[in-house]
Amino acid sequence: MDCQAIRDLVSDLRGGELSAEAREHLSKCAGCGGFLRDAGLVHAGFGALAEEAAPEASLGFASRVVRRLQAWEEKGARREFFETVGRRFVYATLALTLALLLSLVLPTSGPIRGVAGADFLGLQSNSQSSQPDVIGGDIGDSHDWIPARLPD
Amino acid sequence: MASLESKATHEIECIRRAQQGDGEAFGPLVERHQQRIFSIVFHLVRRRDEVEDLAQEIFFKAFRAIRSYNFQSSFATWLSRIAVNHCYDYLRKVRASRISYYSEMPEESARELERKVESPQPRGLDHGEKVALRDFVGRLLARAPADDRVILTLKELEDFSVEEISDLLNLKSSTVKVRLHRARKRMLEDLGRWRQEGK
Repeated sequence: MDCQAIRDLVSDLRGGELSAEAREHLSKCAGCGGFLRDAGLVHAGFGALAEEAAPEASLGFASRVVRRLQAWEEKGARREFFETVGRRFVYATLALTLALLLSLVLPTSGPIRGVAGADFLGLQSNSQSSQPDVIGGDIGDSHDWIPARLPD
Repeated sequence: MASLESKATHEIECIRRAQQGDGEAFGPLVERHQQRIFSIVFHLVRRRDEVEDLAQEIFFKAFRAIRSYNFQSSFATWLSRIAVNHCYDYLRKVRASRISYYSEMPEESARELERKVESPQPRGLDHGEKVALRDFVGRLLARAPADDRVILTLKELEDFSVEEISDLLNLKSSTVKVRLHRARKRMLEDLGRWRQEGK
């Protein structure tokens, strides 16, 4: 038996008996002998620890738990309501603000945005309708699609 | 027998009411299982001053999750599972103590203690020696990884069977046996290292 096998045996010994072969190894090997002594020490220590009684619940422990649960239930229900309403309010405010900002920032007319804005509003002018599509059209290098005069 | 049955019926009724949000009905369940939970928490955490707070958190967690209890296992097992998981999380947060036992205990006393516990059933340990042993293994447990600490505590201190531990930790019995063996061996190897640190 090698040291590894002996230590495997000793780890699970917990007060049990060892085979003659194992005992022979232990009598010759100081390292495994020390491991066996440690196993005994730990086993006894666990026994001493298990004897130690857990503290008792203090008087009224269950009532305190119930009171905490009831407080949580009341607070939890209220909080849930405010969270739901509050979340919806925040989303609505954000959406409105965004729409307002977009209406202020985006001009109704302009070299490019004007076209897009007009397209969006369905207000294409004659000059714009003759221009090639900025995105899909063949622009080339001439830039002759840019109007000479910017629309108002 | 009839008393046991009526207790079980009362427990089921309390659980059903608690599942409908009745906090008052949870009270008798707390009273019935509090000592078991205190024992698990105390042996896992080993801090008397923390036991009651942790137990309260466990019952609070259990109430919030009680709708998920489906009567498949006993209520005590279900509650113990929550306690073990809660303590496991706690232990992972708390850093392991690295204080050396051997550096604090005179070498002669340590050797004397070892000699006394060498016999398979150590006898004749006085109160002081028992306290020293508790302290020693308590510190050794505190050094162990949280997984090892949980499985060793459930087996060695709470005296749960392998089957009960497998139910609590949701593991196969064979896995529990392997983990127990590894945890014991790791603890002994760590003790060897600890001694070296103390010298």
